[in-house]
Amino acid sequence: MILHPGILALLSLSAVIFIIMLVAGWHSLKLIVYWDANSSSERQLLLERKTWLISTLLNYTLTVQIFSLLLFVFTADDIHRLFIGAMCATGSLNANLVGWLVLLVKGVLLFMASFWVVFNQLDQRTEDAPLTRLKYIGLLLMTPLFALDLYLQWRYFSGLQPEVITSCCGSLFSAEGEGVAGDLAGMPIGQAMTLFFSVAGFYLLVLLACLRTRRVIFRPLLFVASVLMFFISLGAVVAFISLYIYQMPSHHCPFDMLQANYGYIGYPMYIGLYCAALFGMLPGLAQPLRKYIGLRREIDLVERQWLLKALGGMVVFLLIACWQMIFGSFKLLGY
Amino acid sequence: MRRLLKILDFTLSSLLKRKYKNFALIAVYAFTIAVLGSVLFLTQALKYEATGSLETAPDIVVQRIFAGRHDLIPVNYAETIRRLPGVKSVSSRVWGYYYDSLIKANLTFLASGSDRQTLDLLEGRLPLADDECSIGMGIQSAFGPAIGDSLALEDSAGATKTFQVVGLFRAESNLLTNDLVIFQEQTLRAFFNIDSSLATDLIVEVYNPRETKTLAKKIKYHLADTRPITRDEILHTYETLFNWRSGMMLAVATGALIAFCILAWDKATGLSAEEKREIGILKALGWETADVLTVKLWEGLVISLTSLLIGLIGAWVHVFVFGAPALTPLLKGWSVLYPDFAYTALIDIYQVFVLAMLTVGPYIACTLIPAWKTAVTDPDLVMRG
Amino acid sequence: MAGLLKIDQLTKIFNRHRPDETTALSDLSLTILQEECIALTGPSGSGKTTLLSLLGCMSRPTSGNILFQGRNISRLPERFLAQIRRDSFGFIFQQYNLLRSHTVLENLMLPLYPTDRQWKEIRRRALELLERFQLGNMHSKKITQLSGGEQQRVAIARALMADPEVIIADEPTAHLDEQLSAELLDILATLNGEGKTIIIATHDPFIYAADIIQRRISLQHGHITADTMP
Ligand SMILES: Nc1ncnc2c1ncn2[C@@H]1O[C@H](COP(=O)(O)OP(=O)(O)OP(=O)(O)O)[C@@H](O)[C@H]1O
Ligand SMILES: [Mg+2]
Repeated sequence: MILHPGILALLSLSAVIFIIMLVAGWHSLKLIVYWDANSSSERQLLLERKTWLISTLLNYTLTVQIFSLLLFVFTADDIHRLFIGAMCATGSLNANLVGWLVLLVKGVLLFMASFWVVFNQLDQRTEDAPLTRLKYIGLLLMTPLFALDLYLQWRYFSGLQPEVITSCCGSLFSAEGEGVAGDLAGMPIGQAMTLFFSVAGFYLLVLLACLRTRRVIFRPLLFVASVLMFFISLGAVVAFISLYIYQMPSHHCPFDMLQANYGYIGYPMYIGLYCAALFGMLPGLAQPLRKYIGLRREIDLVERQWLLKALGGMVVFLLIACWQMIFGSFKLLGY
Repeated sequence: MRRLLKILDFTLSSLLKRKYKNFALIAVYAFTIAVLGSVLFLTQALKYEATGSLETAPDIVVQRIFAGRHDLIPVNYAETIRRLPGVKSVSSRVWGYYYDSLIKANLTFLASGSDRQTLDLLEGRLPLADDECSIGMGIQSAFGPAIGDSLALEDSAGATKTFQVVGLFRAESNLLTNDLVIFQEQTLRAFFNIDSSLATDLIVEVYNPRETKTLAKKIKYHLADTRPITRDEILHTYETLFNWRSGMMLAVATGALIAFCILAWDKATGLSAEEKREIGILKALGWETADVLTVKLWEGLVISLTSLLIGLIGAWVHVFVFGAPALTPLLKGWSVLYPDFAYTALIDIYQVFVLAMLTVGPYIACTLIPAWKTAVTDPDLVMRG
Repeated sequence: MAGLLKIDQLTKIFNRHRPDETTALSDLSLTILQEECIALTGPSGSGKTTLLSLLGCMSRPTSGNILFQGRNISRLPERFLAQIRRDSFGFIFQQYNLLRSHTVLENLMLPLYPTDRQWKEIRRRALELLERFQLGNMHSKKITQLSGGEQQRVAIARALMADPEVIIADEPTAHLDEQLSAELLDILATLNGEGKTIIIATHDPFIYAADIIQRRISLQHGHITADTMP
């Protein structure tokens, strides 16, 4: 176990979130059991007010979760000096098996919490709040994940041995590396680019179609496209976007671009990607909810905004990712 | 958005109405943050100093281990090492510690020419004669000698010798030269009574830094009684040491923060009748539960961000203007002789971020649930007086 | 004139299924028309305040329906009730219910804070209303520095901030002397003349017998015992 300020902050934040989720979960349980929209009893009124408490708690959780994800990457980056052979966050994450798992869980939680907050907002705008039970069941399902997040972080940090020699992005993301990460880096640039740009193009096409027509079919399609686009984009960042950003033919690290050396360019890029994925998925997810009349009206009201936000996010992401590719002096394809 | 801003406006004006109570709260909170912040800033500054001076440190230091402890190393070991491929240069160093009973501190004595890195930091000159020496700032402020004064030291035979100070390390701040005294090599050998065939350690420079580890292994292989220490290893040790120390102190300080949160919680749960009435009025006038919660959230944010800002400034002033008088003895630990020196003022965004997460996060959480209690107030409460 | 507020078999039971269960209103039906000025009377504990709070969307009935402008609001989540309350009802309370530590102007602006209106616009409206009630020079005074009558006028001005359709007043003259009560009646008469519906719960014969009252409803033990139009 390394006693490091960042680690301390991360663990205490996760503990706080977990406690908050326990409180929220306990109230959710009561809500699920006793909720009766037609009742005018005092208990129902109390439950109704509790939904506000829980949404506030979840808003808080989501905000903290975003910061916690950032802090995790930062901390991984800051502690890389403790490991021989580690040169950036990637190296620290490799120090034991759990590192990447933490990142994954945090990412999943970020999306789940975002969905919850968005749908909760929609639901609370309707008079009958048809999603109440569903929402709180979802929240109950989410709670163990927060526990897992806390536990995995604890495992990761307590398992860190400063003497461990870790492979860093140089070796993990180098062409000789094994596993998915290595494959990504080893992929011929041309092929990777083709894949990325065709998926991004597909995503944009579906998105535009959704903006133009109200046809149902495009919404689930956009959902699929968003998921695909999200993962392939992450892969593309490792495979070639990072190379262009760092202007180095073998530096595949997806985290270094969050550093001051690179003008914090990673933030707008990842935020763009996150928005594109999140808001791209929402219309598809909202589709089955349109059967509730109150919700349908609300969904119709916000759907366009979602689509525009997704478009905005994607444009930002693509701009940053491709800027150097088009205007930079650094060339990869020529090799 | 407009709505949020107006509610923020209301929050601010309400906070100002309860000036004294809130200022007291902010004062305590900011103090807690300043303590935490000082720990973080100081560690960061020390780490920066240490790693900064290590950057010019030798690639490999070779010590001899005798009976499990560090011993003098034969100078001819240098020949063996020099023959290894990839070695750029090998030189021997003569240095040692000296405990001065007068100021009750350990000094480091180093032979001139042993270590290139300190040369650039010199004001005056290096010792050229047998009775000359150059000293670091820390010693100057402890003993008080300036250039031209003399320094009296007791050698290994117990005889008192006086040296004239001819140089001073006027470095803005330097952990490694602070307690340093430099002599001519012959002088130091005589002072410590070290035979000319022996040295304290050997320093090795290599051509390719990537080969440092391999070379260290080879040295160990050829000279089994030595311990090669690479620069990386020193860096790790420093890093671990500093993290550990600051972590320990943070853990203690976090305790204080938790205590503070309990206080905040207590304050927030014990809603005064007046506050309850106000919330009732707001709800009667058409404020939603969410709006009231927003007020409470803003309140928490305003208080904690203000405190964070004040605390940060306080910590910054404490560490970089006054040199962290309250923490220095705890953090530096390994030597008493660090009277005062200014740290290079630098703010690491990461440190600020960690501090914010460590303080604002839990505080807001502590005010959330009590805040909710305020929101369940019945709106028609106000109709019944 | 259209039915503005319509209540139908309204029942309100406090602390239901508990030993201290109280039936405050039972099976009440009533239609209130637009621009009516109604006095609600009855002995203490007869349910006047309870009825006003239900009409003003402050609480929800145990059973029965309340229709406001044709919309059933009896089962609405609190959030929507708050919204309706904000937009369509102005309250004048017996205890004024002003935020004591805030200034007159801030108190006036309160009801419009949780809306999308601009701060400047709200301020302008508040200042206008203060002028109207001869309080123009007091806008930065604290409530604690005002006399009782001034506080009452601030409370009335606040009730008018959102330009509501209905004004609900619960015992508005309980703390006022005769002259101030007359002043209040004048204001209410003007407002009624401007087309606002006014519902006043009162014991005070001064109000009860006043000219502006177009309809008197008497309550007893949660039932309507008389509903007359003088
Ligand atoms: N929150 C409450 N909990 C329990 N009982 C209540 C509550 N509010 C009112 N009651 C009861 O309901 C009944 C009606 O009360 P209400 O305040 O409506 O009377 P009122 O006509 O306004 O009386 P007054 O003229 O004294 O103001 C009373 O018996 C009272 O005790
Ligand atoms: Mg009453």
